[in-house]
Amino acid sequence: MDDTNDIDEGNAVVGAHARDVLAYLIESIVSDPDGVEVSVDESGNRTRLDVSVSPGDMGRVIGKRGRVANAIRTVVRAAAVRDDLEVDVEFVD
Amino acid sequence: MDKDGEKVEEVTLEQQVEVMEEFLDGLVEAFGLSGEVSSEKVDDEIVEIRIEGEDLGLLIGPKGQTLAAVQELARTVAQRQLAGPHQGRVRLDVSGYRKRRAEALTRFALQVAEDVKSTGTPKMLEPMSPPDRKVVHDALTDVEGVRTASEGEDRRRRVVVLPD
Repeated sequence: MDDTNDIDEGNAVVGAHARDVLAYLIESIVSDPDGVEVSVDESGNRTRLDVSVSPGDMGRVIGKRGRVANAIRTVVRAAAVRDDLEVDVEFVD
Repeated sequence: MDKDGEKVEEVTLEQQVEVMEEFLDGLVEAFGLSGEVSSEKVDDEIVEIRIEGEDLGLLIGPKGQTLAAVQELARTVAQRQLAGPHQGRVRLDVSGYRKRRAEALTRFALQVAEDVKSTGTPKMLEPMSPPDRKVVHDALTDVEGVRTASEGEDRRRRVVVLPD
């Protein structure tokens, strides 16, 4: 295994696995998949993935007492391990 | 019955499992992993969906936290896609984690019971999820000389093993 190569591939698209998993999760939950946008903010210490959805879908992705949002964060952080990243997920309106 | 007096169809376990299996297949793919998704009926009320494969540790996570989150999201997806009351319960396991965890917890609980019996002092365990607490209670229910109780709220809820 060539480690250098692995890292290069992982960096081709920052947080590729985390982003794929996040987009997949959100699109599985919302009623308007076309209204889903995921953007990456690398300005801070940790990579931040910002998610926005159609106004009517915000409650769906947050869930009661934030349960769904927290589950999404947990799973996306696991996916980010494959990208050698630590990520935060923010839901923006 | 809904407000018009018509019978509301229950969403069957089979329907839920179909939606959840499809969701989980896609999730494994989005992770860039490979795994086989299958399901088995545990009893009339519970079906277990299993993901089996190499290197699926990421889907389990520390103390099964990622597994619990994936299960929560799979249930959420089923709720969103299938309107109406849902029959029974679908749970998830990844690479036999749930079974191994239950076995390890049982051994641990029996060890704690021995300590409590020999010292006569109650012992408080670390906070655990409801299914984990159930494993501990079940493991010690037939053990003479100790009894179990739960203390604390929500995420801090924990089992206490007491001399009896």
